[in-house]
Amino acid sequence: MTGKLFIQLLVNGISIGAVYALIAVGFALVFSVLKFSNFSFGGTISACAFIGFFFQKAFNQPPYWITVLVSSVAGVLIALTVDLLGFNRIRKKNSPKIYYFLSSVVFAIMIEQILTVFYGTQMYAFPSIFATTTLQIGGITFSKLDMTILAIAISLLVILIIIIDKTKLGLAIRAVAINSNTSRLMGINSSVIIVLTFAIAGFLGGITGVMLGQKYSVYASLGPSMMLKGFIASVIGGLGSLGGAIVAAILLGVVEIFATFVFGAEIVPIVLFGIMLIFLLVRPQGIAGRIAEEKA
Amino acid sequence: MALLEIRGLNVYYGNIRAIHGIDLDIEEGEITAIIGSNGAGKTTILKAISGMVNRNDSIKFDGVPLSMKPHKVIKKSRICHVPEGRQIFAGLTVEENLLLGAYNNNNKKEIKQLLEEQYDLFPRLRERKNQDAGTLSGGEQQMLAICRGLMSKPRVLLLDEPSLGLAPIIVTEVMKTIQNIRDKGITVVLVEQNAKKSLSICDYAYVVENGRIKLSGTGKEMLNNPEVVEAYLGAACE
Ligand SMILES: Nc1ncnc2c1ncn2[C@@H]1O[C@H](COP(=O)(O)OP(=O)(O)OP(=O)(O)O)[C@@H](O)[C@H]1O
Ligand SMILES: [Mg+2]
Repeated sequence: MTGKLFIQLLVNGISIGAVYALIAVGFALVFSVLKFSNFSFGGTISACAFIGFFFQKAFNQPPYWITVLVSSVAGVLIALTVDLLGFNRIRKKNSPKIYYFLSSVVFAIMIEQILTVFYGTQMYAFPSIFATTTLQIGGITFSKLDMTILAIAISLLVILIIIIDKTKLGLAIRAVAINSNTSRLMGINSSVIIVLTFAIAGFLGGITGVMLGQKYSVYASLGPSMMLKGFIASVIGGLGSLGGAIVAAILLGVVEIFATFVFGAEIVPIVLFGIMLIFLLVRPQGIAGRIAEEKA
Repeated sequence: MALLEIRGLNVYYGNIRAIHGIDLDIEEGEITAIIGSNGAGKTTILKAISGMVNRNDSIKFDGVPLSMKPHKVIKKSRICHVPEGRQIFAGLTVEENLLLGAYNNNNKKEIKQLLEEQYDLFPRLRERKNQDAGTLSGGEQQMLAICRGLMSKPRVLLLDEPSLGLAPIIVTEVMKTIQNIRDKGITVVLVEQNAKKSLSICDYAYVVENGRIKLSGTGKEMLNNPEVVEAYLGAACE
């Protein structure tokens, strides 16, 4: 493998890994406040990919950022609707966690099936947003789309980390994640915080939907298959830990691209699940996770 | 008229009735102690005030019905509940814990000043302000929990077993702090297993048994009440 090829693969890997990171973070946010894995997130991503696709078609190539904006707003609305229909009552009635899990699986299947009924299982190619698709830097060829995706994903991750680490809203989200009852005693309206985390996750889902649709084309099971990688990343990163999920997702993207190059695409799922299994056996708390300890 | 007026409070956990129609007055500027054995319903009374359990319409604050939503109780009425077992946020720093206490305050300058007040009260917290609060000792966590409560500039502070699991010398320090808080004009409701200490610093006390008020009186009356002495202050309780 030449040095140039190596760099090209590495950048590709980081680019796709950064998208997985957005998915993993959306996943980890909801997990951290509600302690369940929201599988309906995959459906949200597919639905947003279709919405972005049809918007792009209907308005005959509007500026890219408008498509991204429309899709992310759609993501917020879908996530909030799923929360309202699927999770809100479970929360109000304080029902067992397993109800959340079941409800999220039901919504995941439902959204995918609705999309399949309307649009079939075929793939729809997103119109390209660039006149030329590649870019030469120092004699190395990069895909313009991958670079755009990388730039958008990294900016979003940075903004998100600033919100979580430095703002009052972020502090409230972290507090609710640690102990929602005590958070209420601080005057935090934890229901509002929970709804906001769904909204943030939906926003990220909308953007990833468009970007993934553009990269791989749009189809009903696009979201669920990509979400699986976000899920693996959030498990490896330590469920609920944002920093861990981001690191794990980017590593996963890089491993995936190199494994595809070396062994071929069929082997990739096995490699990814293998990594997750090894982590669950050796370090079940994930990269960033700590074993919780309580003081007397 | 008492600052907090409780009349006929009922609380149910499912079908189990934990509080049986009790009456209670919390006077402004006083320490009101609530004592009783395990499972008597002390914590439940505090939770009923702060809105953490469902209750009937039975509590008036400043003459008007008190909200049943926790975030409104603290924001509108400035009643702050420091829960049993401290419940500090492990994984957040000491300072972030304190900032959460002032969650409803948007005045940056005032928050800064409140932080300084807490650090002056317990210099140990200043030394550790950037440390994970979960690594503090039990006593330090209790101080943090109290200071976090004070960050909300409360009119009423509800303290649930602040001396639990602390060494006697620390208990004395905590009790002194509670008196200082009262002397600053903050009304205190003090739930304690340590009846002797709490009765000696309180202005008025209630004894709860099986979800009912069994006795009430000034701290001094209670310390001399043979029934109280036998049940809560006897040699076995030392
Ligand atoms: N979440 C709950 N679900 C069901 N029953 C509960 C719940 N919380 C408390 N109880 C019951 O209500 C009664 C009063 O409990 P509470 O916690 O108020 O007692 P306490 O006086 O604070 O006791 P302790 O001194 O041990 O803290 C007990 O019988 C307890 O078992
Ligand atoms: Mg109790």
